[in-house]
Amino acid sequence: MAVNQTTNQTTQSYALPCGRDVETVWERLGEVEAGRADAHDIDCRHCRAARESLKVLRDLTGELAADDSEPSLDLTGRIMSAVRAEVRRHDLVPLPTAEPGGVRVSEQAVASVLRFAADTVDGVHARHCKVTAVDGFAVEVRMSLAVSYRGFTGHALEDVRERVTAAAGARLGVRLARLDLTLADLYDA
Amino acid sequence: MLTIDVADTAGAVSRAECVLTEPVIAAIAVHATTTVAGVVRLEPGLAGLAGSLARSARQRIKGLDPAPTEGVRVEVDREDPAGPCVRLEIDLVTSAQDQAAAVAQAVQRAVTRAVAGATGLALASVSVSILDIDPGAGG
Repeated sequence: MAVNQTTNQTTQSYALPCGRDVETVWERLGEVEAGRADAHDIDCRHCRAARESLKVLRDLTGELAADDSEPSLDLTGRIMSAVRAEVRRHDLVPLPTAEPGGVRVSEQAVASVLRFAADTVDGVHARHCKVTAVDGFAVEVRMSLAVSYRGFTGHALEDVRERVTAAAGARLGVRLARLDLTLADLYDA
Repeated sequence: MLTIDVADTAGAVSRAECVLTEPVIAAIAVHATTTVAGVVRLEPGLAGLAGSLARSARQRIKGLDPAPTEGVRVEVDREDPAGPCVRLEIDLVTSAQDQAAAVAQAVQRAVTRAVAGATGLALASVSVSILDIDPGAGG
């Protein structure tokens, strides 16, 4: 209430030359638009001018109040992507190339491709995957797997080995020097 | 800033001088990289992001829409006795449908060719770092 009173006093000091103050004009804005204007509202040019300005103010504040758009996620996304890139920059595996400068791929990217390849085998879910670069454009990989209790057969591990080796060559261009598979868990499906 | 001496074929002037700034080379490299099949996007690091935000803010004040340079670092070595030596480092994300090593080598060739074609500058080296491989992106 204290705030309202202060506002009233401030606007009351802005009395128009006709005697009415801006606060009254503001309050009567709705009345006038609804067609219940009194003689003074219609005739007084000071009141009319004040009313026009107040309408503009009301429209603008209404627009702002109705604006519920969220701040853009683009910048947040770009920052997070930059942070992830910064982490991945540290562990890089060299790839073969004929051009000067060299090509490297992050260990995390290698791991995600190899996990993806292992996942394509029925009844196998790849879990942890640790990639280490060794000499001669090759990698050593340690991967742990969860396998289906019902669907699992002994051949599945051979399939995993085959597909991971194929993915390393076809998708990345590195040689798989060593692949350690750990059967870490069973799941019921 | 990088100054290249260009021999004048007309012979009226002994030689002309061409001055390039690093963002120009970077923008050419970015454009060349994105045209290579199998490249999903370039990946700017934190420093690259901050630099590009500052640069695009500066360009927008001047009413220009800046060409992207994110993901390419330009290094100029002026100590080399054989003249300034320019090395590029490119960070990118590739698609899982293509062989990463082949895409990266294609990027190295495309960038070297594009920079040479646009500026006459022979790059000493182009290093490509594949920071991520996107399994969902095709082609």
